[in-house]
Amino acid sequence: MIFLEGRHVSKNFGGLRALHQVDFTVEQGETVGLIGANGAGKTTLFNLIGGVYGPSSGCIRFKGEDITGMKPYQICRRGIGRTFQVVKPFLNMTVLRNVSVGKLFGRDRLQYTKDAEDEARGILEFVGLSGKAHIPTRELTLADRKRIEIARSLATDPELLLLDEVLAGLTPTETTEAMALIQSIQQDLGVTILMVEHVMKAVVGVCSRIFVLHYGQKIAEGSPREIAENPAVIKAYLGEKFEI
Amino acid sequence: MEGGFTRDMGREKRLLGVVGLILLFLCLLPLVASDYHVSVTLDLMMWIALTASWIVLSGYTGYISLGHSAFFGLGAYLMAMTWTRIPFGFSVVLAGLLSAGFAFAIGFPFLRVRGPYFVILTLGLTEFTKYLFINLEIKLGGTVGRILMMTPSLHILYYSILVVSVIAVATAYYIKNSRFGTALFSIKEDEDAANAIGINTSLYKWLAFGLSASFPGMVGSILALRRSYIDPYTVFNPIVSFQVIVMAFVGGLEDVEGAIVGAVILTLVSEALWARYPYTYMIILGVIMVFIVRFMPLGLVFPIKQRLAKKSKESHR
Repeated sequence: MIFLEGRHVSKNFGGLRALHQVDFTVEQGETVGLIGANGAGKTTLFNLIGGVYGPSSGCIRFKGEDITGMKPYQICRRGIGRTFQVVKPFLNMTVLRNVSVGKLFGRDRLQYTKDAEDEARGILEFVGLSGKAHIPTRELTLADRKRIEIARSLATDPELLLLDEVLAGLTPTETTEAMALIQSIQQDLGVTILMVEHVMKAVVGVCSRIFVLHYGQKIAEGSPREIAENPAVIKAYLGEKFEI
Repeated sequence: MEGGFTRDMGREKRLLGVVGLILLFLCLLPLVASDYHVSVTLDLMMWIALTASWIVLSGYTGYISLGHSAFFGLGAYLMAMTWTRIPFGFSVVLAGLLSAGFAFAIGFPFLRVRGPYFVILTLGLTEFTKYLFINLEIKLGGTVGRILMMTPSLHILYYSILVVSVIAVATAYYIKNSRFGTALFSIKEDEDAANAIGINTSLYKWLAFGLSASFPGMVGSILALRRSYIDPYTVFNPIVSFQVIVMAFVGGLEDVEGAIVGAVILTLVSEALWARYPYTYMIILGVIMVFIVRFMPLGLVFPIKQRLAKKSKESHR
C-alpha cells in the first residue's frame, strides 16, 4: 500500500492552470522535498493534500483511503499535519496553549485542557521551546513561531507532516537548528515528511527524494544528485549547475 | 505548585462568594426597592443577558454579528402570538428554541462569510425579518402592531429576566473555560490554522451561533410583555444589536466579566444622564465611548485583569 499517492492531480483557479496532471507518491518514513520556482504550484499542491480546497480533477489517497475533497480537520484526524508558508500560530495564546490545542482537537482528541497541556509540555521540550511555555506567542521571533507551528502540528500526532517553507526568513544559525529539528522529527518520531523548500542546501541535506514542479507540472523526480544534474531542472529552476 | 493550587481554590471560593452575594441582592431587591429601581435593574439584566450571549459567538470567534435584533424580535413575536394561549414560561423557552432553531437553519451559509461581509449579512438579517413581519402582519391581520393584555406583574418579569441573564452569564463563563471555548478562540486567532489542526470550525461556529441566538429570543419574549405593545419597527430594531456591541466593546469582548461591566456602565450612565441632560446626554456618552475605544481598546476589564494576574504572579514568587 502506498502511503501518500496523488494521481493525475489538477487544479485550476479560473483560467489559471495551477497544477496539471501531477502524479506523486511518498513512502512511509521518507523525507521528500518539493521544489520549484515561485508560482510552480507547490503551495497549491499542499493545500490540495491538506484539504483547503479540492482538486479540479484527479485523486489523492492516504494509506489506501481516498481523501480527495475532505475538509482540513478530517485530513488532520487521519494523520496529516501541516505548517503554513506564512506562519499562523495563535498569537494571543501562550506557547503552551497553542500546542495543547493540537492535543485537544488532533488525533488524540483529549477532553481536558490539563491533560492536553501535560502532553504539550513534552512536545515543547522536543522542539526546544520548553523554557518559553508561558510566554504569549506574540512576543516570539519568527524562528520560534515556526517552531510553535511545527509543535502544534506534531501535537495532532501526524504520520505525515507537510512543511511549507519552514526555513524561509531564518538566519543561517536558525536554519541549521531547524534542519536538525526536521531530521529529528523524521528519525526520532518516525514521521514522514513532505517539505516545500527554497533553501537548496537544506533540501539536499535532509531529503532522500525530490520532486520538481514547473508551471504546475512535474518535470523531474529523483535523488538530490539526480535532480541537481537533471537538464530540465537546471534549465527551469536552478539556472546553473548546482554543486552538492 | 501546591501553593498556587490552594490559592486558585481560594480565589474560586471568593468568586463564588461575590457571585452569591450579587445574586442574593438581585433576588431580594424587588422586596425593598421602588418600581423605578426594579425596572432599571430589569433593564440592566436584560442588557447583561444580551451582551453575555453575544460574546459567545462574536467575542469568542470574532464573527461580529448584528443579528441579535432579529432574534430579539422573533422572540417578541412568538410571545405576542402565544400569549394567553400557553403558559408564559413555556413561551419564553419556546422563544429561545425558535431563535436558536432559526440561527441553526441559516447558520451554515451565513457563517461561510467572514469579516465585514458577515457583519453586513447579519444586519441584513434584521432588516429581512423586520419587513417579513411587517408584510405578514398586514396580510394576515390587516394591521402592524400588537397589544398584549393582562401582562404579568413587573416582579414576575423581573425574576424571569433574572433567570435568563444568570443562565446567559453562566453559559458564557462556562464556555470560555471549556474545550468548546478553546475551539472558538482558535477560530478567532486563525480559522484556517484551527481547521488544519483538527477543529471542525464550521460545526463549532454553528453551535456558537445557535446558542448565542437563543438568549435574545428569550429576552425578546419577556420584553414583549414588559412593553405590552410591539410592532416590527420596535422589536426588530438594529439599535439593540448596536447597543450590545458597544457594551461588549466598553467592557471587553473576550470574557463575561467584560460583558457585565459594559452593560452595567452603559445602562447606569445613560440612566443617570438622560434625566439630567436630556439634550446632551448622547454627546456625553459618545465622548466617553471615544475615550474608552482610544485608550482602552480591549475594554475596561482587560487592564484590571492583567494587573490582578501580575499581582498574583508576583506574590507567587
